[in-house]
Amino acid sequence: MTETAVYLQPAFILQQRKFKETSLIIDALTRDFGRVSLVAKGVRKARSKTAGLLQPFIPLTMSYLGKTELKTLTDVEIIPPFVQLQGIAIYCGFYINELVCRFLHQYDPHPDVFAHYRKCLSCLSDTSKIETALRTFELDLMDAVGYGLQLEYDFHNQKINPLKKYHFSVEQGLIEALDGQFSGKTLQALKLRDFTDAQVLVEAKILMRTAITGHLQGKPLKSRAFIKNIIKDYKNE
Amino acid sequence: MQKKGLLGQLIQNLCCLPGVGPKTAQRMAFHLFQRDRNGAKLLAETLLQAIDKIGYCRQCRTLTEDSLCDICADSSRDSSVVCIVESPADAWVIEQAAIFKGHYFVLHGRLSPLGGIGPDELGLDLLEQRLRTGAIKELILATNSTVEGEATAYFIGELAGKHQVLASRIAHGVPMGGELEFIDSGTLSHAFNGRKEV
Ligand SMILES: [Zn+2]
Repeated sequence: MTETAVYLQPAFILQQRKFKETSLIIDALTRDFGRVSLVAKGVRKARSKTAGLLQPFIPLTMSYLGKTELKTLTDVEIIPPFVQLQGIAIYCGFYINELVCRFLHQYDPHPDVFAHYRKCLSCLSDTSKIETALRTFELDLMDAVGYGLQLEYDFHNQKINPLKKYHFSVEQGLIEALDGQFSGKTLQALKLRDFTDAQVLVEAKILMRTAITGHLQGKPLKSRAFIKNIIKDYKNE
Repeated sequence: MQKKGLLGQLIQNLCCLPGVGPKTAQRMAFHLFQRDRNGAKLLAETLLQAIDKIGYCRQCRTLTEDSLCDICADSSRDSSVVCIVESPADAWVIEQAAIFKGHYFVLHGRLSPLGGIGPDELGLDLLEQRLRTGAIKELILATNSTVEGEATAYFIGELAGKHQVLASRIAHGVPMGGELEFIDSGTLSHAFNGRKEV
């Protein structure tokens, strides 16, 4: 790999871990270069101004350079204004970060995912929109990485009928069935990302869970198990 | 310089200390053997004893060689107000600032959905037991002002709510992403005075 130098790249931090005495290794989602691994040197020292900025869910611009897969962060700035996630929304933020980490390969550019991610974060800060924000992001992410759901036609290439019901599997997609879990009406609404009907949200959650789990190759999402364990009576993801 | 044998191993082992690189480790090792063999022996013995005897306080989980730490055993302190911190070092910093006369509860970490650190790893089952007894009237959530620290505070706040215990979060003064260990006591007292209900 040749030396790359990137300036003021819009980015979000997905994950970070401590590295050596004073540094961090950061997994960032950049607008133009996809997921990037960065080392932020010396930021864990007392009174480091950078450490406070290097947090998930904050819109940043990053500058970095390097020859290897692990780049060196040279500058980071906040893009104001931004809303800090609170309470349950933080956990939802961890969930979408994990989705991005699992479904996006490193250095695979996805400006579309970046845009969906940014929009999802801003919707998450409104508690009443959490479910809608998560389902929309899940659908858009699956579309972007090539696992998009065929919501217009069923397995037998018949147009989805709003009055019928369907089963869903990752292998076959939608199959019409009298006892199907998902109504044609819901599937059509999902195509339009229209979540005004509460029933659509309920069915969408089950559908997306089945779809996502099917693509995880038996390795479950940590954040999902976590959220399920700690917030047993909370309905959101 | 040869790095084999016990001396090499010692140098390597010293590198596990924060702030100690190979150069410093080498200097330490040579100092111990050339100038202060007695000190080295004392250090080794104390270290062994400490590792053997120091554990977690059964009430607050801070480091102590007794079953109950000095703070929990001190009857002049207010046991109905409990300050939740991520590490024993954080509790120690707050003690230094002398702004708090209640008890502590040490998590030894923070909730990390992606790192696989859950409530049990932080001893929150123990905290919940104490909340259930009704002996605690207020929790002060002094986890770091990082995203994971906030997520942890939120979770413990919910736990407190479940048991009708008032929970407040230290707010002003702690810079975003700031780690308590590095904050001066003036800022800290500001943070304590500005705490608000979650
Ligand atoms: Zn104690």
